[in-house]
Amino acid sequence: MEASRDDFVIALRSAFLKKGTQQRFSLLSLIFFSIILLILGSFNFKVIDYVKITIKEIVYRSSFIVSGPENFLKKNYIIVNSHLKLYEKNKKNVAELNLLRGKDLSQKIIILENIKYKKLIDDYYIADNEIVAKVLIDKQSPYLRSIVINKGSKNNIKLGMAVLDEGYLVGKIVEVNFFTSRVLLISDINSKIPVSLQPGDIQAIMSGKHKRGGVLQYIRDKNLPEINEEIQVLTSGAGGLFKSGIPIGVIDTGKDLEIDSGKVVNFHRDLSQLKYLKIVSFMKEEIILDQISKNNSEVLDDVINSANDQQETLRILLEQKKIADEIRVKIQKENNFLRNESIKLKKESNFLRNENVRLKNDQKNKIQDEEMKFLKMNVYYGHKCRKNLINNGYKVDTAEYRKCVLNKGLKK
Amino acid sequence: MNKISQNNIIQNILKYIPIILLFISVLNEFDFNNLGLIYFSFNFSYILIFYYSLKKSESLGYIYIFIAGLFNDVVTGTPIGISSLVYLILCGAAAYLRNITLRPSLIKDAIFFLITILIINSLLFIYSGFILNYELSYFEQIINIIYTFLLYFLFSNLFNFFEKNILGNSHVG
Repeated sequence: MEASRDDFVIALRSAFLKKGTQQRFSLLSLIFFSIILLILGSFNFKVIDYVKITIKEIVYRSSFIVSGPENFLKKNYIIVNSHLKLYEKNKKNVAELNLLRGKDLSQKIIILENIKYKKLIDDYYIADNEIVAKVLIDKQSPYLRSIVINKGSKNNIKLGMAVLDEGYLVGKIVEVNFFTSRVLLISDINSKIPVSLQPGDIQAIMSGKHKRGGVLQYIRDKNLPEINEEIQVLTSGAGGLFKSGIPIGVIDTGKDLEIDSGKVVNFHRDLSQLKYLKIVSFMKEEIILDQISKNNSEVLDDVINSANDQQETLRILLEQKKIADEIRVKIQKENNFLRNESIKLKKESNFLRNENVRLKNDQKNKIQDEEMKFLKMNVYYGHKCRKNLINNGYKVDTAEYRKCVLNKGLKK
Repeated sequence: MNKISQNNIIQNILKYIPIILLFISVLNEFDFNNLGLIYFSFNFSYILIFYYSLKKSESLGYIYIFIAGLFNDVVTGTPIGISSLVYLILCGAAAYLRNITLRPSLIKDAIFFLITILIINSLLFIYSGFILNYELSYFEQIINIIYTFLLYFLFSNLFNFFEKNILGNSHVG
């Protein structure tokens, strides 16, 4: 027992205290040094801060260079993948484009109206500072999902600014250095975003869940009225960090219309494919109700009215087109009917003409036959019917004579 | 003569491959993030450090591991010193295993590696959860640990192959 404890202690001592070949420090001394660094770091010791900042600036740049080959592979992988899916994507895009074109005009009107009403309730935020940045590092550890961008305090980046990718929220700034900044992605479990679900206007907090989705928290269980579309998840603007209405993702309700904690939000953007981002801060548009603002409001009203007029004209034109199409179809039908009737009548007329000719010929033949018969019988019985000295007959070429011949002589 | 000196240069470069791999892995993790797999992640640095501390401790100096830990902290955004501490504990565990092992076997090494990463992840949990008040996803941690453990077998064989057939160290493994 004593011997085995000694062995354990010897092995442990040898592992942690003995300097191996080509080792300048013992393991234990380095472990102590790490712990000291951690403790001093947690107290915001100035020397540690300077060391941290220096290492950060060096590491971010070198990491960008080191990740070059992987980025090259990633880029090629994406290109090949998109080529393979090109045909299907194109078909889908064409269908979607047609649908969206139809929605475009009404959406413009809604946006303008929305701006107008938001101004009325003094909740209209505009982007006061927009900076475009490139992603330097997108290494996402299991402990923290974050990325590093190439803009820092030098470029007026401040803590808490919203980070957008093509208009979709992807994160917020949590650390600012002189040349670089760190973005906490919305997929991180520690990222808590106040969100609003539309339709339904349900308020909740969204936290990260996995690489492509978030999860809703602090939400009252609610059953939605039956809808056939996905539920959009937007920033609610609560807390004043982000403006309201920035799209984040969708909830696919399927058959289950119950919204509760733990519902998964599918992000619009793939957070592992970020390259260029827009860093934005928002401010309230200060409008004092002076003459200029009134004029602005009137101009906005005019724009809305003209857009409404355009839509009305478009609607009328579409109605007219519909009616004209209906009339055209009707006329075409009638035309076809009449053409068929005409062909039918022509056929009947031809038939009657032929019948007439046939009847005439028959009659002619009959007369000729009768004449022939009379002539033949006249040869035989003409002398019996002709008036002469012996015979008390009829005059030739009279009807009685003809009748007499056909009766084969005078009837006694 | 010229050929001999050229061979020496190549041998010297190959000797530094583990250190280069360690720094590349902390600056740009091999986690196949770009494949978009949701439930897949592993820690290549843990495998590399454990393997080389166990089999060929002279390849990775403790000071390099310490600096790599600092770099990792900066890249991932965790407090400075935490990764160094974790890496060095991993080295200590590997050195302890090396001292007590008479007949090396891959299965035993892997099981010891699993226990070690479970312990160091628990330490990270305690530090992140209780001191820094970070929220952590237990499920993702478990996935990371499982894949790191499973891939230890693959990378261990690859490193063995590299050491034996490319560097010519027959005593490794």
